[in-house]
Amino acid sequence: MDAPVLRLEHLGKTYRSLKALDDVSLSIAPGEIFALLGPNGAGKTTLIGAVCGLVRKTTGKVWLFGTDTDVDPVTPRYQVGLVPQEVNFDPFFTVAESLRIQLGYYGKRADEARVREVLEAMQLSTRADAPTRALSGGMKRRLLIAKALVHRPRLVFLDEPTAGVDVELRQQLWAYVRKLREEGTTIVLTTHYLEEAEELADRVGIIDKGQLLLVENKTQLLEQMGERRLSVTFSTPVSTLPASAESFGARLESGGLRLTYSERHGRPPAHRLLAALYTAGLPVDSVEMERPRLEDVLLEVLRAPPSRERPSPPAMR
Amino acid sequence: MNAIGLRTLFQKEIRRFLRVPGQTVFSPLVSTVLYFVVFGSALSNRVGEIEGLPYVQFIVPGLVFLGIANNAFLNTSSSLFIVKLQGTVVDLLAAPMGPMEVLSGFIGGAMVRGLLVGGLTWAVGALLAHAPVAHPLLTLLVLFLSAYAFAMLGFLAGLWAEKFEQVNFWPTFIMLPLTFLGGVFYSVKALPGFWGKVSLLNPVVYMVDAVRFGMLGRSVMSP
Ligand SMILES: Nc1ncnc2c1ncn2[C@@H]1O[C@H](COP(=O)(O)OP(=O)(O)OP(=O)(O)O)[C@@H](O)[C@H]1O
Ligand SMILES: [Mg+2]
Repeated sequence: MDAPVLRLEHLGKTYRSLKALDDVSLSIAPGEIFALLGPNGAGKTTLIGAVCGLVRKTTGKVWLFGTDTDVDPVTPRYQVGLVPQEVNFDPFFTVAESLRIQLGYYGKRADEARVREVLEAMQLSTRADAPTRALSGGMKRRLLIAKALVHRPRLVFLDEPTAGVDVELRQQLWAYVRKLREEGTTIVLTTHYLEEAEELADRVGIIDKGQLLLVENKTQLLEQMGERRLSVTFSTPVSTLPASAESFGARLESGGLRLTYSERHGRPPAHRLLAALYTAGLPVDSVEMERPRLEDVLLEVLRAPPSRERPSPPAMR
Repeated sequence: MNAIGLRTLFQKEIRRFLRVPGQTVFSPLVSTVLYFVVFGSALSNRVGEIEGLPYVQFIVPGLVFLGIANNAFLNTSSSLFIVKLQGTVVDLLAAPMGPMEVLSGFIGGAMVRGLLVGGLTWAVGALLAHAPVAHPLLTLLVLFLSAYAFAMLGFLAGLWAEKFEQVNFWPTFIMLPLTFLGGVFYSVKALPGFWGKVSLLNPVVYMVDAVRFGMLGRSVMSP
């Protein structure tokens, strides 16, 4: 693994008696898309805030691009972009002006071409000269994303970037995020649309009550903890399953008209069950297979968190 | 040191108040003109001279000072409060700007507004009364320092305020009494007894008096 872009060690944040972040350690590699998932109040925004200078951490260390942020909090920020969860806008300025100001804050000279490019990417070109207060909610969020990207950061935090954004733009945004990654940008994403994480993430971290419960490669995670649900519809009711199918532990439902099976890690694959059904000559009408979903994994991890004592494989952390 | 960042914030602060000039520049001027008309013209016959100066002339330096102090204060306090309220403070916190850059940007913008209103006030004074400047450099220095001091105070007030009510707390309960008891409209020496003594503790008295010395070549307090 290349030198991490972001490294957290024993990061903690306490509000009075509330532990918003509890001993979080994590490394983010260059060029990866990392999805931070967890319920409301889990500590996602607090984690991002502690890295970006919005929240004063209580304990622990943060390194950005190898720089200890306690020693030099400012320099690494030239390379960081942040889409905050809360929509903000400056009522005194237009869309394009907001972007120019943002460029200036990041020490960049005026660059109209770049401003136009980002406006284009977020489909705000026609609104460039509109006062920010005249934007719709979704457009304000797009402006927020444009502001976070205009100075070409190497590390971008997207705190629920697609909340309130329409379907079409969400798809385009996903494509844009992938393009950024191809250009070498590292992305840390939080979202409650788990599809989004499924679509984009290379790695997933699950956080709850301030504790980072699990960090895992997305594909491996889905393989190990996800379930693929098979559901078979019969044209006529089936009263009993043949022994060959019975052994899978599949269930008959709807008075024998439907059979469901959930394929999980360590269980026999669903296609063998299907083969058994056909071999037994059952009246199979239609077959539906669901891909494993992050949603199930998240719910399961939150229900029964893996023991924190169990060390994760070093490469995963 | 993020020089471009600082300059951006400084220019942004100036453009912000220029976007709403009615509120930030002209409304203070209107009250200044009213002061001149009411206190200066209407009262001056009654009051006659103070410290050997015609009353209209006597109040010019104080009004210039008031324009600067109030507007420098209001610019930082309201701008910072709006930034907090709108959430755009996040942009500043996350940007590669240290406390120096952020503070200088806000203070600089507020000083420009204060000095602009102060300058216009002086111009009005020059039109309506005779408004000489005896010691230009000293006057500029004192006005500059006053703008700086009140911009700083405004920044503190903006930092502290969490509600709209609190933004108005300072101007109303601290600034207004300090400036009205600051010898703008009268000579503090004319205040008898207790209030005269209290006035001597008011820093504004000395600022106004320094401006008066700079402009009119005469002061109420001995240096
Ligand atoms: N300024 C604050 N003062 C006190 N408590 C806070 C503050 N900010 C956050 N918290 C608390 O810290 C915890 C974590 O909040 P955080 O905003 O990080 O959650 P989140 O994971 O981002 O949730 P969501 O999905 O709702 O955005 C919550 O219990 C929240 O109430
Ligand atoms: Mg959040």
